[in-house]
Amino acid sequence: MNAVPTKTYDVVVIGTGAGGGMAIKTLCEAGLKVCALNAGRRLDPSKDFRHHRMPWDMKFRGFGDPAKRAESYGFMDNEWVEGVWEHEIPFTTAPGTQWMWPRCFAVGGKTNFWGRSSARFGDIDFRAATLTGAGIDWPLEYREIAPYYSRVERMIGVASTVQNRPSNPDGEYLPPFNFRCLDHILQQGAQKVGVPYLPDRIAQLTRNHEGSPACHFCGACTTGCDTGSFFSTPWRFLPRAEATNNLELRTDALAKNILVDKNGAASGVAYIDRKTGQEVEVRARAVVVAASCLESARIMLNSKSPRWPDGIANSSGQLGRNLCDHLYGESANGHLPQLLGQPSFPDNVGDNQPAWLPRWQNLNNPHEEKFVGGYSVYPGGGCTEYPWYAVQTEGFGSAYKREVKRRYPSPVSFTIQAPSLPSPTNYLDLDPKVTDRYGMPVARLHFKWDDNVLQMWEHSKQIIAEVIRAAGGVYESSASQPNMPGWSLHETGTCRMGNDPKHFVTNRYGQTHDVANLYVCDASVFPSPTDKTTTISIMAFTLRTCEHMLENFRNGVHRRV
Amino acid sequence: MAGQDIQRREILRVLGVAAVAAHFPGFVRWAYAAEHPSAEPAPVRPAAYTPQFFASQEYAVIEQLAQLIIPSDETPGAREAGAAEFVDFMVAHDEEQQQAMRTGLAWFKAHVERAFGQPFLALTESRQESLLEPLAYRAKYREGEEVGREFFRRIRELTVMGFYSSKIGYQELDNPALRYYAESPACPHTNDPAHRHLPAAKW
Repeated sequence: MNAVPTKTYDVVVIGTGAGGGMAIKTLCEAGLKVCALNAGRRLDPSKDFRHHRMPWDMKFRGFGDPAKRAESYGFMDNEWVEGVWEHEIPFTTAPGTQWMWPRCFAVGGKTNFWGRSSARFGDIDFRAATLTGAGIDWPLEYREIAPYYSRVERMIGVASTVQNRPSNPDGEYLPPFNFRCLDHILQQGAQKVGVPYLPDRIAQLTRNHEGSPACHFCGACTTGCDTGSFFSTPWRFLPRAEATNNLELRTDALAKNILVDKNGAASGVAYIDRKTGQEVEVRARAVVVAASCLESARIMLNSKSPRWPDGIANSSGQLGRNLCDHLYGESANGHLPQLLGQPSFPDNVGDNQPAWLPRWQNLNNPHEEKFVGGYSVYPGGGCTEYPWYAVQTEGFGSAYKREVKRRYPSPVSFTIQAPSLPSPTNYLDLDPKVTDRYGMPVARLHFKWDDNVLQMWEHSKQIIAEVIRAAGGVYESSASQPNMPGWSLHETGTCRMGNDPKHFVTNRYGQTHDVANLYVCDASVFPSPTDKTTTISIMAFTLRTCEHMLENFRNGVHRRV
Repeated sequence: MAGQDIQRREILRVLGVAAVAAHFPGFVRWAYAAEHPSAEPAPVRPAAYTPQFFASQEYAVIEQLAQLIIPSDETPGAREAGAAEFVDFMVAHDEEQQQAMRTGLAWFKAHVERAFGQPFLALTESRQESLLEPLAYRAKYREGEEVGREFFRRIRELTVMGFYSSKIGYQELDNPALRYYAESPACPHTNDPAHRHLPAAKW
């Protein structure tokens, strides 16, 4: 028997990450009564963020329990954040598909641990199809979204510099991270090859900002921050929403489907209370889905009713389709002989990402290269928490021990971030045979890298090896294959936005074409992934979506409770 | 930095002492290597480490291998860092490793006896090293010793992991990670961006 809802809210928001957190804050501050559903628990920074513990304080020295290795999501899912990443809800992959899907269901979602790179999208991204003939254009221009980026940058604090790059609109920045020795050396090499090497745009505070303290540069960001010095919603947005007394946050509330009235409009959300296993309904005048690209599509596909037999707001048949992802992989690694035997230096302070190589391909002419569009690259290296090269270094004894020490400041490694193109064969649907422990059909992934993105991968291996050599470094190797799809956490496209209701799930405001009071606030609305990370754009687009929704509340499209 | 207020300095101070070690009972040198201020009473330490996976004879061989891989020379080595304890602990928690270790140890024992007619621990250190060289260096690999190379690779990997994740390993590298800095650390060689004129290498 379902619990009977006792109260109607103005808005129910599914998810508390970048999109959900921004929506919750914006709507609560505007005076709306909001119920937020979060699939997992609240984190306690003092217990769950153990990142100021040294490896020898951890049972397995931070390498993790070998017995759990098979189910680990990799470097982020480690002993410092044990029990934080989701392992209970399964998913399946179609034959031939490989997919890795690290999900953080804790309050704040992936903003607890994200990479913090925060570049704006620009017209080169929004008009990519017109420029290149591939992919699809966005239904808006940069000048429309630019003011929202500025507001988000002021809210969260982004450290960078004005760079005047044609592919990267500049924003409003705090002072940048300082360059390390390896950055100066690599920058010289990049200049010789004609590749930009610049401070990244990082949502990490180099000054006290908006009540949050400046970073202390400990370098363990991907295991959570216990001072709130990089942006995350639990530190920065949710407390502000809670201070309005307009927010009710329900944790361990796993969204199951969106409820509809007899006309097919959204009337609330049914969720599973994971503590009791009971299904609960919450009623609202409007619904925001912000559960992340794949999970949002899964919830909407599972929201079947006589009015929406193929899933809510899916008259276009595009819900779950057009799935894109960032290809990640180690384009090249090596070492810088200039730094051999030098004293150690805190290179890992920004979790190793003070710099980036923003897109430089196909800028003068969209068809300069064998591929269309472009990619960016992140450099890393130097003295890290653990000398990973030591296992590759041959030998044993005092000579070996000395060599490990000599090489400590010198390793460098570059990671590509390259966008896949939308394809009819890359999508998510509900597995017809497999359900999770709560009886909900699980997501089934269908995905393969396209030729265009694999061309970028090959291109990056060659040119980054040149950069290392031009810097006076020694190129050692490149990864034989890119990382598994899903690894980047930058999926886009399953609820893509566009003007034509026949071909797009959401309109230019992220409001579904079919259901006026249903809004989508995550990267699923992005028609393409671009060469930049998604988080700051999720927040800018969400802010715009929520202001559109507030306008609809004011002009009577939606009625307040 | 100007403008860095008391609140932030207080945060940095608190962080500096907040990380309380969780000592895992049973470790001797490892726990010692981890020693730092703790609010909890120090656990009672057993006099000697009791291996969880290896038999005591085998464990003595593992200890010596770890010590040959990372010796105590001008700086402390695997022995002081308790690296062999880590090797044993990880293997005890890893079924996949266990089979390989059993096979590898059996091969190694027979190999040593064949070569010198004596157990490994009875040999001089230079003889012990001469046994490891063909397993460790590509240029010295020998036909038919794949099992031995795989065994040494596993022992060496776990030893290296155990050593460089210990406090002694951090000291060995002067590892700057997980500390607190008032400013984003900057390259100190402002007049030498190519870093071609650095002071002579220390190592």
